[in-house]
Amino acid sequence: MKECYLGIDIGSISTKGVIIDENNNIITSSYIWTEGNPVNAVKKLINILKKDLSSEYIIKGIGTTGSARKLIGLMLKANIVKNEITAHAVGTLTFYKDARTILEIGGQDSKIILLKNGIITNYAMNTLCAAGTGSFLSSQAKRLGIEVKDFGKYALKSKNPVKIAARCTVFAESDLVHKAQIGYKKEDIIAGLCKSVVLNYLNNVGKGKKIEGPVIFQGGVSKNEGVVKYFKEILNQDIIVDPNSHLMGAIGIAVLARKNKNGNTYSLKVDDIKFDTKPSECNLCSNNCELLRIYRNGTLVDSWGSKCGRY
Amino acid sequence: MDKIGIPRGLFYYYYGDIWKYFFENLKISYIVSPNTNKEIMEKALKASGDEMCLSLKTYLGHVEYLKDKCQYILIPRISNYKKNNQTCTNFWAVYDIVKNQTDTKLLHYNIDLEKRKTLKKGLYKIAKQLGKEKHQIRKAYKNAIIRYKKQRKKEISINLNKLKSDKTKILIVSHPYNTYDSLIGKDIIKYLIKNDVEVIYCDKFSSKITNKLGETLAKELYFKYSKDNIGSIVYCKDKIDGIIFISSFPCAPDSLVNELVTRKIKIPNINLIIDDNSSFTGLETRLESFLDMLGGLDND
Repeated sequence: MKECYLGIDIGSISTKGVIIDENNNIITSSYIWTEGNPVNAVKKLINILKKDLSSEYIIKGIGTTGSARKLIGLMLKANIVKNEITAHAVGTLTFYKDARTILEIGGQDSKIILLKNGIITNYAMNTLCAAGTGSFLSSQAKRLGIEVKDFGKYALKSKNPVKIAARCTVFAESDLVHKAQIGYKKEDIIAGLCKSVVLNYLNNVGKGKKIEGPVIFQGGVSKNEGVVKYFKEILNQDIIVDPNSHLMGAIGIAVLARKNKNGNTYSLKVDDIKFDTKPSECNLCSNNCELLRIYRNGTLVDSWGSKCGRY
Repeated sequence: MDKIGIPRGLFYYYYGDIWKYFFENLKISYIVSPNTNKEIMEKALKASGDEMCLSLKTYLGHVEYLKDKCQYILIPRISNYKKNNQTCTNFWAVYDIVKNQTDTKLLHYNIDLEKRKTLKKGLYKIAKQLGKEKHQIRKAYKNAIIRYKKQRKKEISINLNKLKSDKTKILIVSHPYNTYDSLIGKDIIKYLIKNDVEVIYCDKFSSKITNKLGETLAKELYFKYSKDNIGSIVYCKDKIDGIIFISSFPCAPDSLVNELVTRKIKIPNINLIIDDNSSFTGLETRLESFLDMLGGLDND
């Protein structure tokens, strides 16, 4: 029997999963849409991963990361639940030991992580505003009537990217509509959008950070060739995009699950887990906390949102 | 019905204790609004304009809460503490805003040290308005100040002792009305304490020291409270592991000062901007990863 470890990264837009072996080699991986329902997405994901896993492997660790990490961590009884910054840094360092800068643009978060000698020295994450992240690109792709995965190809065709306001996506959107209505070509608009994402990123999270090579670009948006091209152009540096760049968070958390293994063995039978969440409002005091109670197979396993710790 | 209502926001976190002691000494009944809760927040959003900062919005919510529970609401105006020590415009304007919005009578005094309007004169004026004799007021004021100074000294020494701790030490740089507000900063502080962090507060240093030190980071700055806050960074820069900036959206002085300071200091830091979104998930990600970074990542 060989040991293996499962890492799941549940983002706002997509859910990523990998299974790695003892030496951090990827045995199988998958990437599906979350569609606003992390529990179902994870069930679907695990069923896909299971198909490619030969019976000689046993799972000795499960890690979850991403914005739904706590919920899914409870559902799978994960042995480690960690934030995505740490997971991304660990994942990247597994493959690029000398990485200095990680650029990451995901569905609703964007971050920059600076490393030195394998230790995070600084990082920044977008604050309140989700401008210039993947969800903006995908909603604009829908508006322009093209698939988000073809976005990059269109952008590369353009010779004259149009200028689009980079600061705020609400402004960017109206800019885009106007440019489209007065007759600019689709590929020029798309290229302009990709450029504005880069500028927005560098002015927002990248502000005041010294970007040194090797620079690694990851997250869902790194699959967009247009954005990669403009990062290279504007930073005047080579940008490394790993073929598994979209999976780095999942790989990182799988590595962490391996390091934190506790001897337990996990099964991947998820279809018969009944997992429910019940929202309610507690009216016992003036805080009126919004409670979320989590039931696993009908028994209460946790509840969140209480300020006083009563639940 | 109590005589005086004190809204738990802005000024309260600077002068609340002195007010309480002063009114207690004068045997005037008062009511302090409760910690910011959902009810107050809902009132706040109704009473406030869209461009106001979250701290001012909550303050107006507290005023709304007190509106029919007291005879007077105490709202001072704080303009400056001598030259180059001004306050944020909210501290100037809130009296006028409330005066135009509510029918409840207001108790009011100005602090404007450039024109020699001090706290002492202000409190004397209020007490006189409430029909107290001068000798009573003098005694009450003196006792209140003595009690306040004693308490403040104790708080400062606790804060200074924390700098000697062996735990991870994080300095919170934020205005006290954000740090201690149950909607804005309290969850963050709670999270840090739960994760075994020694939390050091930037407002619990002697302002005489920090105000001067603040000038070494930003010479031209003229916001008194910002100067005090960043002075604490200079004061304990070799003794802390990290800094967390907390500001309420869209605070103008903070957006300027925090940006300026993060470029000049070499201590790990994050900047958290809080608005009235009630979910803690996003903040937790940022805090957790910040603590991970301070702990150093072990890697093979």
